[in-house]
Amino acid sequence: MSIFDDSESARFREEVRAFLATAPSEEILEAGRKTTSVFAPFKQAIAWQKILYDKGWVAPSWPEEYGGTGWSIQQRYIFAEECNRRGVPPVLPQGVQMVGPAILGFGSEAQKAALLPGILSGEDFWCQGYSEPGAGSDLASLKCRADSDGDDYVLNGSKTWTTYGHHANKMFALVRTSSEGKPQQGITFLLLDMDLPGLEVRPIIGLDGEPEQCEVFFTDVRVPKANRIGEENQGWTVAKYVLEFERGGSTFGTWLLPAQEKLRAWCTRENAFGERLIDRPALRRRLVELDIEIAAVVHTEKRVNANLKHGENPGPMASMLKILGTEVMQRFSELQLEVAGLDALPVQNQALAVGSEVAPIGDEAALLAMPYYLNTRAASIYAGSNEIQRSLLAKAVMEG
Amino acid sequence: MQYQYTAEQTEFKDMLSRFVRDHYDYESRRVYLSSGQGFSKDYWQQLAELGVLGLPFSEALGGLDLPLAYQMAVAEEFGKGLVLEPFLPSVVMAGKLLAASDNSEARDSLIPSLIAGESVLALAWEERDSRGAPGKVLTRAQREGDSVVLNGEKLAVLAAPNADALLVTARDDSGDLNVYLVDTQSPGMTMTAFGSVDGQPAANLRFEQLTLPASAALFKGDALPVLRQILDESLVVMGAEAVGVMDQLLATTVEYCKTRKQFGLPIASFQALQHRIADMVMACERTRSLLWAALQAVGHSHFGDSVAMLKAELGRSGRYVGQQAVQLHGGIGMTEELNVGAYFKRLTAMEVLSGDRDYHLDRLALGSD
Ligand SMILES: Cc1cc2nc3c(=O)[nH]c(=O)nc-3n(C[C@H](O)[C@H](O)[C@H](O)COP(=O)(O)OP(=O)(O)OC[C@H]3O[C@@H](n4cnc5c(N)ncnc54)[C@H](O)[C@@H]3O)c2cc1C
Repeated sequence: MSIFDDSESARFREEVRAFLATAPSEEILEAGRKTTSVFAPFKQAIAWQKILYDKGWVAPSWPEEYGGTGWSIQQRYIFAEECNRRGVPPVLPQGVQMVGPAILGFGSEAQKAALLPGILSGEDFWCQGYSEPGAGSDLASLKCRADSDGDDYVLNGSKTWTTYGHHANKMFALVRTSSEGKPQQGITFLLLDMDLPGLEVRPIIGLDGEPEQCEVFFTDVRVPKANRIGEENQGWTVAKYVLEFERGGSTFGTWLLPAQEKLRAWCTRENAFGERLIDRPALRRRLVELDIEIAAVVHTEKRVNANLKHGENPGPMASMLKILGTEVMQRFSELQLEVAGLDALPVQNQALAVGSEVAPIGDEAALLAMPYYLNTRAASIYAGSNEIQRSLLAKAVMEG
Repeated sequence: MQYQYTAEQTEFKDMLSRFVRDHYDYESRRVYLSSGQGFSKDYWQQLAELGVLGLPFSEALGGLDLPLAYQMAVAEEFGKGLVLEPFLPSVVMAGKLLAASDNSEARDSLIPSLIAGESVLALAWEERDSRGAPGKVLTRAQREGDSVVLNGEKLAVLAAPNADALLVTARDDSGDLNVYLVDTQSPGMTMTAFGSVDGQPAANLRFEQLTLPASAALFKGDALPVLRQILDESLVVMGAEAVGVMDQLLATTVEYCKTRKQFGLPIASFQALQHRIADMVMACERTRSLLWAALQAVGHSHFGDSVAMLKAELGRSGRYVGQQAVQLHGGIGMTEELNVGAYFKRLTAMEVLSGDRDYHLDRLALGSD
């Protein structure tokens, strides 16, 4: 018996389940099924966010007075478990999990009043403008310039890997306002509209043949200084706060468990020879090995979360959870590809579109196997690459 | 013991390397990919003129009758350049099987036009539930008077959308495996053409009461031993292609790590990445060694085992090299902007095709299908 299944938790779980049973439309569930990366199809992800917003459940990690749910960290985990079990698309993280906390922590009251409602409802969709062609792992070396000119900043430079930049109407960006001192010291956290003159978005085609990330170019783009979050040259502090804010929320296990259950069910089907994949000793063993890895992720997340109080984060353990979670996801994607076999080969982006009338080629169960495998390679690259995370973890342990 | 190409083979390989370099930059490849055909008929013709399409065939048929190492040389260069022309499925698989058949009429009419670059052949042998085993076939060929009636399904038939004729494996009434020559326009056949993840044109085929003349049968007795021999040889050729792809990915990744700077240093200076490069090198070299070992085993009783070792290793090493090439490139590796992704996808397709790692491990562990 743990704090995840005492009677209060059980009651909470029932309440979440009852809501999830009827709230998502068939189209939203289809988008959940057709999510081939961590980013769900845009339109339905926003539609689902709106439903959560109406229910008051869109921002579990926020303070209650700003629209949070007042749930404990454990209840948030249960909520994630039930959402993934039901297969609803994940809420896109850029608003509620990234720019929201920045505004909550460093925004003025006027900024909070003006911006938080749109973030919660999904009416505003925000993209994250941090990375640049020359600044990835070494984010502090970013160069996109914001020169002071009266009440405005004038932006010149570019951002890249901006997820869903082509869908966004707003961006939160890290820009360079000073080249004095350490690189971290001359960075400012700035909000801007995507339709400003001089701003150009170019989608990048990913390995799966679909645009997900974008390049964004700035040529003399004027942004009012009033759009700054925090002080000038204090952007690094804001960005670090955002990172810490969500660190309690590792929920890889809640996704992995139902995914693995589906994969096992697939392996249990009988083929035309009356055989089942699960009866192949080698495959069956790999499934069990993955079960163990998933169980380790689930219980590590729960163990870490169980000891956290509201507002705390697990510190360097967050690096470990990121590595564990993403690498088990990758292993899952490999096993799913092996199970799919030849049916994974056809490129079927049309059939993958939500609402598509195009029938899948071959075994429908295999439709996602290849794009998911390809896209999941990104999990060890984004959000601090796993090389960088390993260095952080080792450093934290060695420096005690 | 051959562990490298002979002088003549190297000369031939260098010529192909120049051909690929001159014709196969990333941009032109993109154009062929989107051309609908999936490759360039023009290049196919040029390859015929260079003798590539006639390498394995007897002089009587108009071929050059050269050893398997020549096919390896072609594939390795094609791997480096990610060439799309259907050398492997059309010449090495379908062509060689047809050349080995008992049906002299079909052979004598089709092989010369294949060699001349005038036609494309495809071999339909993999099924959903065969999972790599060539003898595990549900497609049936029933004799009805002077005709044979085909029913069944084939998966991921490479080059099928561009093929002029198909070779289809099926079980006949006596339970033997035979191979049938099928016209691509036959009523009774549904072709679902698709682009495979690696850009190769392929198709799933369904046969419903497809009626053929009895003369469409290519073999007199059980064709399984010949089919297996040809498929195993084709895996040696695929292994060579994989080595070409991996060498290229490794070189590209090393170059990238030396030029990409983060934290004021080339990322090649970070020890974590240096160790990764070392592991990639070992993966390439393991595969290369098993490739030559398989070539040496041609004609010996352990040929099948050597091929199974090669393909199982290719599954593991190809995956590792592909994944790490993407990882070391960071975000740019996840896009179509560079060709890293295209090489990774080719390796991924090779891992899945012609029996995955499990299938070939079972061949070795259990000594059977
Ligand atoms: C799918 C996806 C979505 C993304 N979405 C966004 C977004 O919305 N907004 C945004 O701003 N960014 C986004 N990114 C960018 C992401 O944050 C960067 O890709 C990441 O920071 C890595 O930077 P890079 O791609 O420049 O790789 P690099 O930093 O150039 O790294 C290349 C390789 O070198 C390794 N490396 C670098 N430094 C070291 C070191 N010191 N020690 C050991 N190894 C090292 C890396 O781990 C990697 O393997 C996204 C990326 C992806 C793939």
